[in-house]
Amino acid sequence: MANRYELSDSSVVVVIGSGAGGGTVSNELAHKGIDVVCLEAGSRMQLSDIVNNPGAMHFKMSWLDKRLGAPTWLCKTVGGTTVRWSGITPRFQEHEFQPLSTYGKLDDTTAIDWPITLDELAPYYDKAEDRMGVSGTHGIPPSAETNEYKVLKAGAKKIGYKEYTSTRAAINPVARDGRPGCRQIGFCWSGCAIGAKWSTLYSEIPKAEATDHFELRTNAMVVKINHDDSGKMTGVVYADANGDLHEQKARAVCVAGNVVETTRLLQNSSTSMFPDGLGNSSGHLGRNYMRHMTKSTLAIMPGAVNFHRGTRQSGLILDEQYHKPERGFAGGYLIETAAMEPLMTAQTVGGWGERTADYLENYTNLAATWVSGEDPPQASNRITFHETERDQYGLPVPILNYEFHPNSHAMYEHAAMGSKKLLESLDGRNVTSVMGGGGGCHNMGVARMSADPRDGVTNRWGQSHDIANLFVSDGSVFVSSGAANPTLTIVALAIRQADHIAERMSRKEL
Amino acid sequence: MNQGETSRRRFLVAAITYSGLLSTGAGVTLLRASNTWADSSNGNSDELTRMARLLYPHDGIADNVYAEVIDSILSGAATDASMTNMLNQAVTALNAAQNGDWFEASENDQIAAMRAVEHEAFFAAILGNVQARFYNHPKVWELIKYPGSSVQFGGHVDRGFDDIDWLPEDA
Repeated sequence: MANRYELSDSSVVVVIGSGAGGGTVSNELAHKGIDVVCLEAGSRMQLSDIVNNPGAMHFKMSWLDKRLGAPTWLCKTVGGTTVRWSGITPRFQEHEFQPLSTYGKLDDTTAIDWPITLDELAPYYDKAEDRMGVSGTHGIPPSAETNEYKVLKAGAKKIGYKEYTSTRAAINPVARDGRPGCRQIGFCWSGCAIGAKWSTLYSEIPKAEATDHFELRTNAMVVKINHDDSGKMTGVVYADANGDLHEQKARAVCVAGNVVETTRLLQNSSTSMFPDGLGNSSGHLGRNYMRHMTKSTLAIMPGAVNFHRGTRQSGLILDEQYHKPERGFAGGYLIETAAMEPLMTAQTVGGWGERTADYLENYTNLAATWVSGEDPPQASNRITFHETERDQYGLPVPILNYEFHPNSHAMYEHAAMGSKKLLESLDGRNVTSVMGGGGGCHNMGVARMSADPRDGVTNRWGQSHDIANLFVSDGSVFVSSGAANPTLTIVALAIRQADHIAERMSRKEL
Repeated sequence: MNQGETSRRRFLVAAITYSGLLSTGAGVTLLRASNTWADSSNGNSDELTRMARLLYPHDGIADNVYAEVIDSILSGAATDASMTNMLNQAVTALNAAQNGDWFEASENDQIAAMRAVEHEAFFAAILGNVQARFYNHPKVWELIKYPGSSVQFGGHVDRGFDDIDWLPEDA
């Protein structure tokens, strides 16, 4: 198929990645009449390709290229990880934009405050919630209460929590925006087979295509961004499905490959002018990698729950999201549900023998909580690259260096105890928790925003401090992780960034 | 081992199993792909089948299901020297712990021998492979009343997604 835009067309904005950040910034720009070429490393699935089989879907959509170190749970497909995500969309709280001012300087962390506030982002949160169809916002009803949410809510009440909700999911409770209402299929993490869960795959991308200002190129793995003698980005080199290299010229470049690929691409584009990677005069590129403190807890309840019936994550408790230093750690966490298939249940319970088998024998009676908590940034948590090993594109194999901070261990102990209390209040037994369960789906921080160019890679717009026409449009720009699942904030920032790009273009500054 | 190390270790184990889930998650479709292991004269299948049952002991599951899981692993190992090596290492280690004949030892002794090697790489590899195949097996799903795919039935929206009936009235 012929390209809509010529490779030599240097008037286009090139967006790298089609997930939450890339898909959103593409669609926003295209709706403003700005021509966009979106390069996506994966291929494009139809809804009919999505089946209720986690193993099969894994091979269809996961990012399987070789990586070392901490595993991630990401996708290489049109829509990126919005095909796999749970749909949980809480906002950041005000203090989470000011972690340094609020928590003080924790040992061995690199915390700074965001260069933006909740007030500034709030209008974009509104827009993001509307685009995504978040339950409980914009006149959208709450999500239906699943069996597992009812357990969470009953336990919350028993132990005195006050703020629990089945809102804040970007899964249509009722038909909206061309997508149907949720059928409680389960298998959200294998992709939503009916498109009730928001994903750029069937939301932003087709909307952008309808504008006539957008071209999606699939199986286009970007390997390098080129610049001219003035240091301005001029084009993006990608390998097509046959491995042949092409250069798409560009007016501006938005990088949204999720943290590992965003880091690798900017590093791999090093030249004598940018010896440590594009936009890395601060030395922060690839550092301050955050994943959230995550925790899974399971229990055998006294009656049937059948948590496989319905959405994987169907509600949340907000009471622990606040910063209450008397708990012995900085920041807070959200308590969510997390229904699992049998295999993931066995993996989460861990171990082997009678105890593990007993858990699975009681599969119908299981309930689970999952926690997403603030993860302080550390310089040593970073993406590095293997010195000699190369992948199929000839790119250095990434190494994900990640260790939990002591603050996260303290938070884990608190969260594990709380979930135990909650589940035991309803006579749940054999409560078991694991730290890090499900880790690697939330990835943030390797090109963080900063007011001072020495502290981060990008400015308040996600624009490179060093290079005016280079933007980072994914969770890499996060300054702190907050407690919230990151996608809503990624989308809000991408909408805001698109406004900024359009404005700069109209002023002929880009 | 201090608290931090324990937690870190659990994180790493969780991380490995989450990715392991994914790299071996197609268990069902791999089952009974072939019987090539039989032709390759792998003499360890009885021991490994026994090991699979002790890993995930379910009285309601017949031996042939565990054997099928091991068949599938052995068949994959036919073209995977490192896996073959780990399977052999496991049986050798278990036998060494039980005077050369782990298979004939009592159940308690068999389990004790497994506990003694559970931190070895070969053990983790076998566990991950057994787990992925076993807990995706239709007979196991039947036993634990997990129905699998629901989209063909229109999901659970009209089939009990909110039918929980034992929660306390005041909750």
